[in-house]
Amino acid sequence: MILGVTVITFLLLHALPGSLARDILGTRATPQAIAQFNRQNGLDSSVWVQYWKFLLKLLHGNLGFSFRLDRSVDSLLATELPRDLVLGGLSLLLSLLIAIPVGIAQAVKRNTVTDYGATGVSFILYSMPQYAVALLMIQLFSITFNIFPAEAPQGVSWLNMLEHPAGLVLPVASLTLVSYAYFSRYMRSSAIDTLAQDYIRTARAKGLPERLVLLRHLLRNSVLTVVTLIGVSIPSIITGTLITEQVFNFQGAGLEYFNAAVSNDYEVMLGITVLVGVVTVLGNLIADVAYALLDPRIRY
Amino acid sequence: MQSFKRSLSMATVVTVVAITVGALGSGSSAASSTRSSTAATVISGIKQTGIGLTEPTKPSGARIKGGTVTWAEAPQTTPNYIFPMTNFSVCSDANTSDFSSLMYRPLYWYGNNYEPTVDYGYSVANEPVFSDNDTVVTIKLKPWKWSDGESVSARDVEFWINLYKADTANYCGYVPGFFPDNVKSMSTPNASTIVLHLNRSYDPVWFLYNELSQITPLPLAWDRTSLSQKAPTADNGHLPDTTKSGALKVFKFLDTQSKALGSWATSPVWAVVDGPWKLTAFNSDGEATFVPNPHYSGSPKPTISKFVELPYTSDTAAFDEFRSGGPSAVTIGYVPAQDVPQIPALEAAGYTDNRASSYSFNYFPLNFNNPKVGPIFRQLYFRQAFQHLIDQPGWINAFLDKTAVQTTNPVPPAPPSPLVKVSAANNPLPFSISAAAKLLSANGWKVRPGASTTCVKPGTAAGDCGAGITAGEAISFNLDYAGGTTAIESEMNDLEAQAKRVGITLQVTSHPFDTVVGAAVPCTPKQAVCKWTAENWGAGWIYSPDFLPTGESLFAPGAAANANGYSDPAATKLIDQTVFAPASEESKLLTQYAALMSTQVPVVYGPTSIGIYGGTAGTLVGDRLGGFTAQAFSYLTPEAWYLTK
Repeated sequence: MILGVTVITFLLLHALPGSLARDILGTRATPQAIAQFNRQNGLDSSVWVQYWKFLLKLLHGNLGFSFRLDRSVDSLLATELPRDLVLGGLSLLLSLLIAIPVGIAQAVKRNTVTDYGATGVSFILYSMPQYAVALLMIQLFSITFNIFPAEAPQGVSWLNMLEHPAGLVLPVASLTLVSYAYFSRYMRSSAIDTLAQDYIRTARAKGLPERLVLLRHLLRNSVLTVVTLIGVSIPSIITGTLITEQVFNFQGAGLEYFNAAVSNDYEVMLGITVLVGVVTVLGNLIADVAYALLDPRIRY
Repeated sequence: MQSFKRSLSMATVVTVVAITVGALGSGSSAASSTRSSTAATVISGIKQTGIGLTEPTKPSGARIKGGTVTWAEAPQTTPNYIFPMTNFSVCSDANTSDFSSLMYRPLYWYGNNYEPTVDYGYSVANEPVFSDNDTVVTIKLKPWKWSDGESVSARDVEFWINLYKADTANYCGYVPGFFPDNVKSMSTPNASTIVLHLNRSYDPVWFLYNELSQITPLPLAWDRTSLSQKAPTADNGHLPDTTKSGALKVFKFLDTQSKALGSWATSPVWAVVDGPWKLTAFNSDGEATFVPNPHYSGSPKPTISKFVELPYTSDTAAFDEFRSGGPSAVTIGYVPAQDVPQIPALEAAGYTDNRASSYSFNYFPLNFNNPKVGPIFRQLYFRQAFQHLIDQPGWINAFLDKTAVQTTNPVPPAPPSPLVKVSAANNPLPFSISAAAKLLSANGWKVRPGASTTCVKPGTAAGDCGAGITAGEAISFNLDYAGGTTAIESEMNDLEAQAKRVGITLQVTSHPFDTVVGAAVPCTPKQAVCKWTAENWGAGWIYSPDFLPTGESLFAPGAAANANGYSDPAATKLIDQTVFAPASEESKLLTQYAALMSTQVPVVYGPTSIGIYGGTAGTLVGDRLGGFTAQAFSYLTPEAWYLTK
């Protein structure tokens, strides 16, 4: 599958209009400089030859070199992935910690004021552009009340981020709010379905306390849907935080991918695409394993 | 050019949708409808003298010693190359005037504060002496020292030239046939003097501004091929190894070291500086921290204790930081083009809005070699008619919030230069639909406003459409522009509407900045890449490292940046004269060149935005920062700055 992704991406990228050499070297570049650039970087070869060379490099763990950034894609990702994992991972964890109990509570108290209120909040957050959420938070908490910094913690190490937790509050919160709305809707729906199952009725009939019914029977069975969503959400930790990265001055892979896309930086795009492909496969694998652990009826 | 390039590409996502001007097709210019003043008052509305421009800032508080000054880098324009010999792919202000020149001083310093001239006070060398009918250049170096204790010597200049000659084609200042091709030989009669023998007479002004401007003396400590090799000194340096292979090995070593971003601050190579600053920290995000070089020989010496350059992912992120943190977070920032209405809020936060311009001009090319519409673009009357459709005063007022200057030729009207004076208010081809229609009608076209104007008199005689244009041919072409900036989008929409008023059909579409730049390649009509018709990347041209606004890089036949294939004998002759004539004639020739190009319209001129960052709407300067003067060529000079209580 990953090989297929690389073929399609490679061909699409090379079908883009414009001259990469002219783009990278600028309007001042002489024809000699352009010819030399193409020769040195193998851009004067056929697209299949270029692809073969890319594959050979990939097999050796070499994701290529960014002409725009003047650095290797490996070093770029080595710097930015850990930070993305902190940002995306924290927000994913937080949104789940909020969404799962809220979703269950809504299901248990469905069609009550609590349910309607939580649904309203979810709909508002879900329908708000992430960009607007982020800007509103900055205006309110940074500019008006000056409680939290307007930018994420700076520094290339992910440890720098953890050393300045105040700077993480707004970017993590803006991501969490949007993904919370998403997860809580699914959790509510799944929990409502599970509540209608016979084993829930049986558990209640045999006098099991409601708390244990919810924890042992409802949560474990209804969370399977969310596990699927988590599996497919893992790749978005890498590239799904573009808006947050832009607004909160956070240097991450999502932003690099966007910048690479608008500047024909093929190797960065290919590198991140391959990485996202691998993580997508892994995410689904993790979800499958989690199914088996959560539900013994599932066998592979 | 790259600094603006990145800010534009970022803006494609982060620009908040602004109020766009509608009803452009109604027959009247939306831009014109809001016009309240003439071009002259628009220009005069942008103050080009005074505090922060021609005079350093002077805050009222007591001056303090030390302190940290922070400076916002424009989005996506972080330094990524420290070696001060930049090839085309790393040729940007972010790497040179904003970064490496703080540590490694160029031979001559361009920008006498806000005046676009040489500042010999900041230069490593004294004024060059031209002799033998301007065929010999003698450069005398000042008695400066490198931070390793070695003298800045003629061998350092020779070292730079040797490296340049080994890989000439890749260096971003290179123009074929000129430096270093035009240096027959060089000699070093003593340790502080280098003599260049040229292949013919050159205008000394031009040679100083466009050729010597490329040179940065390099320390002999860099003349090696590995880190394990002992750093050469004046006693044991092997600089006489002037072979191409030897120079290439040294270049490769330095290039490799320069690509190792993470090691810059600790590298024994880059630690040897002759500028006022040395790098103490740098991370791959682009955050750079400088402290004063105690061995700096020049003047003034730094008084602040730290200078920090801060990276930003977007205009929005930077702007929010200016708003929330103010000058205590970022001492020097910029006004994003879309945030001009917020200037009062920024001033309230403690900033002064500095309205300096960088020495540049804005334009976009029409492809003369396009097989379909190229013959139309080659007609002078068409280019003049098309220029009449550009409503510069209207655009400046309606779309640019009066943060741009009218541009009528390649010689920038601002900052004002004593070498050549042009008036931005004097536009020989001002916005006029009737003038455009008249020109087309007088040259064989049946003008059909709102419909399709067609050629009714094909041929090459006076009053005919011109060579290569067929009977019944319409004027219709694509105009690609760099998307993401509201002002450019509004301008292009307005131009589309104005063109329709004289029966010209434009298909205006936005693309990423790099796609637009990458499309505008020099070509011949039969080449597949020659399909492009008009490409507007919105940034035009910044004069660096060719600081004199002559046209050998832009409009001479075959010039690298002459993407559209413009060629005119009178223009070519004038360009040659600005390169080869005696110095006494340079000013007169440049004035003639500016006048000719105003009517030749080799490219379509548009308003040039102010802002020393390039393409922004002004520079924000913290109100506690003293000694700040905008530099005409955007060089940073924190050694002249100080903080107050």
